[in-house]
Amino acid sequence: MNAIEIKQLQRIFKTHTGVIKRTAREVRAVEDVSLEIQEGELFGLLGPNGAGKTTTVKMLATLLIPSAGSASVKGFDVVKQADEVRRRIGFIFGGERGLYWRLTGIDNLRYFASLYGIDPDVSKKRIPYLLEMVGLKGRGDEFVGGYSRGMKQRLHVARTLLHDPDVLFLDEPTIGLDPVGARDFRQVILDLQSEKKSILLTTHYMFEADALCDRIAVIDHGRIIALDTPGGLKQHVADLSVVEVETFGASEAIIGGLRALPFVDALSVEETEKHQLLLVQTKRGAEAVPDILAALDGQRLGRVIVREPTLEDAYIRLVGGAV
Amino acid sequence: MNARLLLKYWRTILVVAEMTIRQQLMDGFIIFTVLFQPIIIALLALWMLKGKGPEYAIFVVVGSGLTGLWSSLLFISGNSINAERWSGTLESLVALPTPFEVIVFGKNLANVIQSLSSMVLGYFVAAFLFGYDLTISQPLYFALSIFISIFAFISFGLIIAPVFVMNPGVRHWQNAMEFPVYLLCGFLFPIALLPGWTTPISYLLPPYWAAVALHGTTTPGTPPNEIFFAWGMMFVFSVIDLLIASRLFKLMLYKARADATLGME
Amino acid sequence: MRIFTNNLRLFWDGTLLSYRALFHWLRPAQYVASKVFMPLAQMFFFVFLGTFATSAANAGFYIIGNAIQITAVSGIFGVTMSVGGERETGTLPYLFGTPANRLVTFFGRAFMHVLDGMLGVVIAFGWGVILLGLDLSHTNLAALGLTIAVTTLSTCGLGLLMGCLSLITVNVMFVNNFVYFLLLIFSGANVPLADLPNWMQVVSYALPLTRGIAAARSLVAGAPLADVAPLLWAELGVGLVYGLIGYFLFSWFEFEAKRRGTLEVF
Repeated sequence: MNAIEIKQLQRIFKTHTGVIKRTAREVRAVEDVSLEIQEGELFGLLGPNGAGKTTTVKMLATLLIPSAGSASVKGFDVVKQADEVRRRIGFIFGGERGLYWRLTGIDNLRYFASLYGIDPDVSKKRIPYLLEMVGLKGRGDEFVGGYSRGMKQRLHVARTLLHDPDVLFLDEPTIGLDPVGARDFRQVILDLQSEKKSILLTTHYMFEADALCDRIAVIDHGRIIALDTPGGLKQHVADLSVVEVETFGASEAIIGGLRALPFVDALSVEETEKHQLLLVQTKRGAEAVPDILAALDGQRLGRVIVREPTLEDAYIRLVGGAV
Repeated sequence: MNARLLLKYWRTILVVAEMTIRQQLMDGFIIFTVLFQPIIIALLALWMLKGKGPEYAIFVVVGSGLTGLWSSLLFISGNSINAERWSGTLESLVALPTPFEVIVFGKNLANVIQSLSSMVLGYFVAAFLFGYDLTISQPLYFALSIFISIFAFISFGLIIAPVFVMNPGVRHWQNAMEFPVYLLCGFLFPIALLPGWTTPISYLLPPYWAAVALHGTTTPGTPPNEIFFAWGMMFVFSVIDLLIASRLFKLMLYKARADATLGME
Repeated sequence: MRIFTNNLRLFWDGTLLSYRALFHWLRPAQYVASKVFMPLAQMFFFVFLGTFATSAANAGFYIIGNAIQITAVSGIFGVTMSVGGERETGTLPYLFGTPANRLVTFFGRAFMHVLDGMLGVVIAFGWGVILLGLDLSHTNLAALGLTIAVTTLSTCGLGLLMGCLSLITVNVMFVNNFVYFLLLIFSGANVPLADLPNWMQVVSYALPLTRGIAAARSLVAGAPLADVAPLLWAELGVGLVYGLIGYFLFSWFEFEAKRRGTLEVF
């Protein structure tokens, strides 16, 4: 049996704008998603903002009712058998909210343990165990309001493991964490996988998905546009090289001209305060460098690097360089 | 529903109530509503009713305590679901095997118990600050009345919260709903003073029957039948409230999942 | 002259903008609910409680007291929120960054609430006459209007001070509610001042509302304006003192905040 099965899932939001002249607008957050996630699999869902990742997760977590299609978790339908699903799942949405800041860490866990109907004798042992597992040992008696962002996020993990769910939904769990906090947190995710949990992870960070996930689906405009192992996705760009060029204040016209060159397969721009980083995907590898530089003639340039493609480059190619 | 499940829910309710009280101990608005406002009303009423004689002191203690009960039910229980939404915990609470009504029941229990403390404080104010000799004429019936009133208030609160969640417009009237209930329920003066057409409205409000029972058991000379009748009315209203509430909760949760209003984005 | 018109414009813009910006959530229905209906229900409650405590003959005493008291809804809650609300919206640093005349800006905050408060009291008197049988036939209505205006002004003075305090206290609503309910006791709206212990009477006379309520009661009973003029002057003086303390506190906050670099704290 698959841990999660999704068939042609769709979700439409109706939003109203305007106070006097109200106009209804339909937003198709999830257009058509079909997926199967196996038992014990760590599955990644990638996509740009607004692609439909969170909406998909919320439908699976019984928090949203699909507009069309169906989904089941451990064989139970997420609409008709919501209670059965709820006993078997845990979820975390990134960010600091969702905990009681005026209670201590232990009290938060005690509270949710009782809501999951866990016997007090059991939770008495389980809470210290979970606190230790997520690295909050000794901090459980402090008020959550005083926790750092990373600590809150780890408390979320402990909370969601109270009832020992088989399936976990982690929606951008490392968002807003500092690099060390994010690294520690990824270790927690790997620990969960080694406990044979089925995990659906959504994230913005490609290296995170590359390092953690067994398989990855890339979702854009509410549809799955690629589904493969990280290695398989990288095959999409295996024939390509990436030329990174640092520029300072290159105009839209110049970049557009570069993009239009026949040997450029995809081009994305990362803007920082001081400079732009142009990522040019090309089959010609290092040979393309003189032509690229020629197209940028007259611009102030920084370093130029030719490298092998990463998962991120595969992703950029899939969603059309619009990062 | 079997006994084991009920016992399990009861344990959950107690933990929810405990955690709710712990959180609210530090909230200024809640402390004001639960403690300060009823005490200020008690002080005012004790001065105002001075001329009526010392036997009215216990009437004021009970009545001002009831104002506190209603205000906390209206403001704190009324906002309890929205408060979870604002703190981002609503989604975790809904996606649980425990019915959401059970959780809100526990929160209401905390609020009602909490605001009963103002009645106790009012008792001390009247006894020590004003030097009144306070006696409860029928202590056993009074204790029973308190118990039944708690239940009636909680059940009534289970209707208010989902109504406020589903109709944001009604919530704007929250401030305006505080004093009319003080007026209509005879907390601090008999409803006979009000125009006759308001009497049926009073009869429809569970807090009115709580006031009849609690005033009746503290004031000497109330016939037992009157008290029993008030108990009966509270019981009937509680059953009706619970039935309506279970419908409202189903509707509310379905609507929230269909319209995507559980989170706060 | 330029400066004068400039400041006049500043006063108006500040008044309207602050009122609109901070109360944009206030829809008409909500306005009626929280500014008209709520105070009226409260007034009715205390009038019935008062007549139950004494006799129906005393209704006028409670109607007048509680009608005037309604000005505190705007004067305390409204004014406090329009000063203290700056902290919640995080606009205080920007306000302190402008060259605007602080005195004008500060008192501009209260202006709309003065009008609002007066309207509330007039409506309350109206209901008192229509529903509760208040008799205004012996009353110098112009003098009563003046009393309402003066009392509202002085209450807003206290509101300005509370608003400043709300910039440093943690829980604005707690302080507001507390002051509002304390006024219900101390102002003499419901308890004759003579019934209060001596020390409380001293406090009463240091607060706004007290003299305004006393003046309104005399006027309704048929007294001429000249009789209550001293009360009104004193009422105005009390309000001015609170308003000025509030203003100096406000200036001091600004100075301290800039000196210590703690603007974000506010």
